[in-house]
Amino acid sequence: MPREIALGDALVPGLLVLFVVSLLVLWALDAVAGRFGLYRLVWHPSLFRLAVFVCVFGAFAYFLF
Amino acid sequence: MSAVDPATTKTPAFRQVLVEALREEGSIWLLVIKTLIAFFLTGWIAMRLELPSPSSAMLTTIIVANRQSGMVLAKSFYRGIGTVVGAILAVVIVAAFAQQRVLFLLSLSLWIGFCSAGATLYRNFKSYAFVLAGYTAALVAVPVINAPLNVFDSAWARLSEVLLGLLVSGVVSEAIFPARMRDVMRRTGREQFTDFIAFVRGSVGGAIPREQMENAHLRFVRAAVTLEDLRSSVVFEDVETRARSNHLRLFNQRFMATSTSFQSLHHLINRLKRAQRERAADALIRLYAPLGKGLEGPLGAGLAAQALLPQMAVARDAIAANVTRLRGTLDDAQDLRDFDTGAALIRRFADELYDYIEAAASLQSPRPYPTISAERVSFDRGNDYLGAGIAMVRATLTMLVLGLFWIESAWPFGSSAMLLATVFAGLFATVPNPTRVTWIVMLGYLSGMIMAFICLFFVLTQVDGFGLLVVSVFPFAAVGLVMMFTPSLASYGLGWSFGLTYLLGLNNMQVFDPARAINDAIAQIIGLGAAAAAFVIIPPAIGSAWLRRRLMARLRAQVALAAEAPLPGLRHRFESINNDLVSQVVAQTQPGSADSRALIAWSLAVHETGRALVEMRHDMAVQDIPSTLRPYLDAVLDRLSRFYEVPDVASYVAARDAVATAIEGVREHTGQDYLLENLNLIRMTLLDSESAVAAYMPDAPLAKEIAHAP
Repeated sequence: MPREIALGDALVPGLLVLFVVSLLVLWALDAVAGRFGLYRLVWHPSLFRLAVFVCVFGAFAYFLF
Repeated sequence: MSAVDPATTKTPAFRQVLVEALREEGSIWLLVIKTLIAFFLTGWIAMRLELPSPSSAMLTTIIVANRQSGMVLAKSFYRGIGTVVGAILAVVIVAAFAQQRVLFLLSLSLWIGFCSAGATLYRNFKSYAFVLAGYTAALVAVPVINAPLNVFDSAWARLSEVLLGLLVSGVVSEAIFPARMRDVMRRTGREQFTDFIAFVRGSVGGAIPREQMENAHLRFVRAAVTLEDLRSSVVFEDVETRARSNHLRLFNQRFMATSTSFQSLHHLINRLKRAQRERAADALIRLYAPLGKGLEGPLGAGLAAQALLPQMAVARDAIAANVTRLRGTLDDAQDLRDFDTGAALIRRFADELYDYIEAAASLQSPRPYPTISAERVSFDRGNDYLGAGIAMVRATLTMLVLGLFWIESAWPFGSSAMLLATVFAGLFATVPNPTRVTWIVMLGYLSGMIMAFICLFFVLTQVDGFGLLVVSVFPFAAVGLVMMFTPSLASYGLGWSFGLTYLLGLNNMQVFDPARAINDAIAQIIGLGAAAAAFVIIPPAIGSAWLRRRLMARLRAQVALAAEAPLPGLRHRFESINNDLVSQVVAQTQPGSADSRALIAWSLAVHETGRALVEMRHDMAVQDIPSTLRPYLDAVLDRLSRFYEVPDVASYVAARDAVATAIEGVREHTGQDYLLENLNLIRMTLLDSESAVAAYMPDAPLAKEIAHAP
């Protein structure tokens, strides 16, 4: 089950925090990809974007466990 | 559907109707299936994660369900922000007033009121974030009122549920047959461009009837606001649009600026024609003619627009070369003055049109245009703070009254009634005619809850396991969703889906307690009824004649903004607030009514005068104005602002005289003639017997007076 992260003295579900962080990372990656039109090179941009998110989120979660 | 052509045979027409209907039905069902996939998937994950209330996560998927995935993502984004802020506030409020239930309720009510007020100040989903921030605080804080220590868990539970719902909805809408809004936006942008260019090209011949001008003006205003609305949602769906978002804004701003100059120019020509100054008018039309040539060719943004650019440059040069020649054909002093005013306007229009076409041409280049990205552009909105104040009072009072009732009566379900009332009082504060909408939603809610009752006690008691649960809930939920996605039944379907999901309260430990369900249902209906009553007691400003008058006053006050606000960025600010205000009033008036005509007339006058003032101030800022002349110009700015703020005969005369004096003053000074162009334009707008200001003229102006302005 998800581990918890201590924010201050409060225990917070770790996955939730990582989820928000990965959203921010995706946001930043998107900005770069949009600037250079990188998503034009992929077949299904939204699936690709989703896959990137899963990778980012998964990578973060891997460090947690 | 377009009318069926009687010339064609019946069968294909019928088949076409059938295909159209099936396509429409098909798209609705696709949407329903997508929503239900998200709905049940969220429920399943929430149950696996043992979240305390899977049903509220499931409700989230229904709330953000939308045809376009960009809308889903945009709504999710703002819903997420609102939820986070609301949850934080709930923790703060509970921490501060854990033992003081009156202060607790008071502060919570004030927060909700504040958020409702914020919601009315924004359009799009930003408003939604405010609503969420308000009622999330209540949703988190109220259930733990007797056990304040649980507030943290409550906040995290709510956050996890909502974020889970958003995540699943986002994934489903993005991955399964996504409907792209980007294409709609591109089409809108292209249509804006081709429509406008075609209109300009078609009008090179000369005067356009006022009626047609007014319609065109409305169309352009709508186009500008629609494009901005789309842009603000598409940035979530499409990363490339996000990278170009600033460029799109610039494109839109240039469009607004160009269309204002275009309007001014045509009103000027119309006025001259009406005043029998044919020679000046014809000279201007001839001067304007090269633009028609410049715009020849296939229309379209991107490459087609790029092809127009060199032609436009040629046209601009042709205009510049023709000015002296055409000016030489005139001899009357008045004609010359009118011609100079018009020629300045034409030059301004040609420059702006060139910039606009340039922005359109570079929109589709593979890389965002470097020079354009450097300039930050914003689309400012015109907000009404008193309307926001009303929303605040309403939401606060609703919450307080129900809260007091809850405390006094010790009604076990009081909190759930109160929560629902605040949710809906906030949610519908921004729709026109919220009383009616709330009633319809309430009916839908009631029927949804009845269905939930049947589903819960006659179907779900018979089944076991998640698969069968999906099968048994599916038909009940699908009916509601189909209605929700059918525009005419949307509010009813929304209520149905909410009521069904709420009362089903799907959870790992499903509770089957008919008495409790009925009690809860009664509380929900009372809550919704209270929200509807609140809208009756404190009627919303939106759609009322009062707000319309206020918006009109705001619109007129735009002239003061043009006259007084700091210059940097003022052109953009002036145009975008204007367009936003006009589109707000347009949305609230019957097309073709007296109100609507008055609005258009005023907005044309404000657009024209305001732009002229801004241009004049730009001239004043770059040139060295003699100190003896400055008081006259300042008087013009001041008197015009006062007149437009509170129009009456006295201030009209004051403004008219100030402009006349300033014109005389400029003429006495040598080398300041460039000021005359805008001053003359303002003067003509003031003397126009067909414009909105005509009502304030002390006596009906004669055509002669327009021509022979002192």
